[in-house]
Amino acid sequence: MTRNKLYVVLSAACATGYIWLIINYHRSVSGSIEPGVCLFKRFTGIPCPSCGSTRSVLSILNGDFTGAFLCNPFGIIIMFILIVSPLWIIFDIVTQKDSLYVVYNRTELFLRRKWIAITLILLVILNWIWNIYKGI
Amino acid sequence: MEAQKVDMFIMTNAKYFESYQINAIREKLIAMDDSRWAMISSIQLKDPTTNLIISILAGHFGIDRFIVGDTGLGIAKLLTCGGLGIWTIIDWFLIMGITREKNMHTIQQLLY
Repeated sequence: MTRNKLYVVLSAACATGYIWLIINYHRSVSGSIEPGVCLFKRFTGIPCPSCGSTRSVLSILNGDFTGAFLCNPFGIIIMFILIVSPLWIIFDIVTQKDSLYVVYNRTELFLRRKWIAITLILLVILNWIWNIYKGI
Repeated sequence: MEAQKVDMFIMTNAKYFESYQINAIREKLIAMDDSRWAMISSIQLKDPTTNLIISILAGHFGIDRFIVGDTGLGIAKLLTCGGLGIWTIIDWFLIMGITREKNMHTIQQLLY
């Protein structure tokens, strides 16, 4: 992936994320909080590892970090990416650098190391089991 | 390299590449030195059909992207319930082409 393609994909993803958050924020204010777009949950009835992350991000926006962690720890990672990446992209475009691209490639290589990958996969599976147990 | 050897390689591996790339690969292989045949013939390529099956079964968790080598996008797909389910469906149609492009990338490192 080239630098510009990565930045376009990331900006599009962040924009979709923010639109999704605004829609769900209004829904949660009006009371009906059941987005249910997850294909996996629709078909099988079992929540997927990232089910509940919208609710988790909304809890962070309300200042409830413990609630966010208990709902789905992925929400904290998503919130972090949603805040950091647009700022970083703007910084890179303004200064005409490719620091985010370099960091992205290094992170990919880092995550592909055997033991780190195994640990993270185990964490995701644990989170999945926790999700099913919570019945999100 | 001998044309016969190269044609055998192309015949067995044609399904791993886009059709428009095959001619270029063939010409590069013919122009290449014979000593690199061992490296070329032992190259590890990903099967697009297998990846399509993985994409249909586990694309929701980004596994297809992890296998292709796009770790970052795989994580993005995993964290967002397969891109709200839309990205999963888009990738069912894209993943075979992406796999072939990645195979081309792998073989290019040996060809050039």
